[in-house]
Amino acid sequence: MTEHDGYSLRLYVAGQTPKSIAAVANLKKICEQHLPGHYDIEIIDLMKDPALAIRHQIVAIPTLIRQLPEPLKRIIGDLSNTEKVLVGLDIRPN
Amino acid sequence: MPESERDLKLPLFADADETVQAIHQGDIDAVVVMRALEGPQVILLHGAEEPYRVLVERMSDGALTAGPDGVILYVNDRLCEQTGYPAAELVGHRLASLFDGEAPRLVPEVTAEAGLLRNGKDAMPVAVWSRPITIGNTTATLVRLTDLSIHRRAEQIAAAERFARSVLEQATEAVVVLSPEGHITHASWRAEQVAETPPVGRAFSEAFPVEASSTEEAGMLARFSAESLNTMLATKPFHGVEVKLRGKRNANSTFLLSAGPLVDENKANVGSIVTLTDMTERKRAEEQQTLLVAELNHRVKNILAIVQSVAGQTLRSSTSVENFADAFSGRLKALAVAHDILTQTRWIGIGLSELLIAVLAPYRSADETRVSVCGPAILLPARAVVPLSMALHELTTNAAKYGALSTPRGKIEITWQVSGGDDKSVELVWRELGGPRVEVGESGGFGTKLIDRVVSHDLDGKTEIDCDPAGVRWTIVFPVNGFARGGAEASDAATV
Repeated sequence: MTEHDGYSLRLYVAGQTPKSIAAVANLKKICEQHLPGHYDIEIIDLMKDPALAIRHQIVAIPTLIRQLPEPLKRIIGDLSNTEKVLVGLDIRPN
Repeated sequence: MPESERDLKLPLFADADETVQAIHQGDIDAVVVMRALEGPQVILLHGAEEPYRVLVERMSDGALTAGPDGVILYVNDRLCEQTGYPAAELVGHRLASLFDGEAPRLVPEVTAEAGLLRNGKDAMPVAVWSRPITIGNTTATLVRLTDLSIHRRAEQIAAAERFARSVLEQATEAVVVLSPEGHITHASWRAEQVAETPPVGRAFSEAFPVEASSTEEAGMLARFSAESLNTMLATKPFHGVEVKLRGKRNANSTFLLSAGPLVDENKANVGSIVTLTDMTERKRAEEQQTLLVAELNHRVKNILAIVQSVAGQTLRSSTSVENFADAFSGRLKALAVAHDILTQTRWIGIGLSELLIAVLAPYRSADETRVSVCGPAILLPARAVVPLSMALHELTTNAAKYGALSTPRGKIEITWQVSGGDDKSVELVWRELGGPRVEVGESGGFGTKLIDRVVSHDLDGKTEIDCDPAGVRWTIVFPVNGFARGGAEASDAATV
């Protein structure tokens, strides 16, 4: 994975709420399918450290932040609507 | 506005809208709020807490949720402890990577064994159990990992406990197990019998109120109060102190109290085993033996006194050493015969006719009518056997030397009667016939003196000698606190 064309994604969750779990699962599925080898995911559990929410001004959980490539993109929800996620992250479907 | 600024600003505005919309649509289940003092805080929205979540968080087992592709989505704290990795390093990895060798096949509700890697290297035996769970549109798998090393240890402990219980059940003594604080945790069947109330759960001193059985022991036990006795028994070895137990049930029993502490593999005290051995029978036997030894001692002294007296008096009346030897050995033999009889009847006594037959046995000859014995059955008490035997010996010796037994035609007739109710007395008549003419003077001397003395002193009786020219006649009357064997009417006519 190169820095130029890789997606750096950060998913904010709240412990093991149903939507948090769903978001994690869905995100991985989407990345595997549409960005194979070109992504890295960081899961931030705000239950463990709520202060981390400040950086990206997280209000709703789950929230996905695309850090790279710029510009910053944000998607709120459990990511179950794949199409909405692809559009929101500006990913060309594979 | 420059595009970059717009990018920065718009998302915020848009986010606010989006957030509200998301909440409306139910796309999210938690929010972050800013508290003035505490800072940011996560608030879960209603319905977000699933029962399984609480279960997983609180489980003492390690638990994780894995996606359909085997990727770890979530781990609980216990799993982090078990693997030695923080959550961030586990989430996103494949489930299989947690295990040593082949990952277990996950069959729902079926438990499999596997080796969980600790810190990536040591394998810890775990039981793996899984179940599919649905979260939203996703089907994930809940996996539970139970530390088998603890489980195995618990099984070993349970087996040891069962063994200890069965040993305790077989114990024939009163055995109890004490906790380190001196409370009874296990008791054998006998212990439950000895204790007046069920002992398990009670302090030892409460279930078994011990007190010293003698003054020497009292000093040792008195030093301990009830509480300190409990802890002392639970922690220190204690060997064989004789005690009694307060209370009616064990009023006449004596016990031997012993305690041995129990330690675990780290030599820490984990309690003790205390035994109360019933010594009542043993003590009784000891006491009886002491009594018997004292009795034996008394009797031996008695015999020695008699022998000494007989020796002394025989010496005084003997004209020569040979005479002394004969007379003395004859009398000793009579004494021996008498004691033999006593031993055989275990010092209970002997019937008068049996005694006569035994003492006169040496004079049995081809002519069995030589010495006849006739009278009612009467049991002589033990104390009468020796004196009567000695008296009879003298009579017999005299008869053999000077009387009826010194000639072949001579005969002895022994008859007796029993009279009196509770205070029975025997009147025994020794009659010699067909012997040489008798003079009183000749039959005087020690023999007569001995007979007289023995009868009056040792038999509490009286003697009378009648020197009939036809043959001497002795009458001996003495009391017996005995009883007639087989009825007073039966008369024993035995011919020796």
